Amino acid sequence: MERGSAMKIVYKYLSFVFVLIIPALVLSSERFTVPVGDSPSLGPEKAPVTIIEFLDYQ
Amino acid sequence: MKEILSTYKDKVRLVIKHMPYKYRDFAFISAEAALAARDQGKFWEMHWMLHERFPKLDRESLISYAQELGLDMKRFRNDLENMKHMDHIQADLKLSRDLDLYSTPTFYINGIKAVGDRPLESFKSIIDKELESSARE
Repeated sequence: MERGSAMKIVYKYLSFVFVLIIPALVLSSERFTVPVGDSPSLGPEKAPVTIIEFLDYQ
Repeated sequence: MKEILSTYKDKVRLVIKHMPYKYRDFAFISAEAALAARDQGKFWEMHWMLHERFPKLDRESLISYAQELGLDMKRFRNDLENMKHMDHIQADLKLSRDLDLYSTPTFYINGIKAVGDRPLESFKSIIDKELESSARE
């Protein structure tokens, strides 16, 4: 009985890892492709870092 | 953003996409003003000015900013009147919908999404990591 409930806790913990933590890690490292197109840009085209900002002036 | 550009100089490129919120009175017209200024080679001057002069973004204010920047006023007024760059703005809005964006500002730093205004340090830490990994390649 005790052993069973201990296993339950282990399963709960494991499901927490799989359901929450792993997707969070994957999502946080996801990189999106956003086309620059003919948008206004400042700085060299071949700069190692490109920041694309979506903004509203108001 | 200005501070980031001056900190990293030629290592960072900034690209602007317009995402005017339809229920704000001056959101569209101020995006138009920036793009109309772009046609006269003064996009960035107008862009920073709109940040600095916020929230004064009504038509009369925009016209006075254009005057201050020495733009051809007949052309500027005309562009504003005709919403000349609506297609450009709509294309940006479509892109924002495709990316499922709901709030401004949203940034993509080498494709890494960062939502909302954030402290300078937060940008710097992402940029520094990107520069490190690009130096290793």
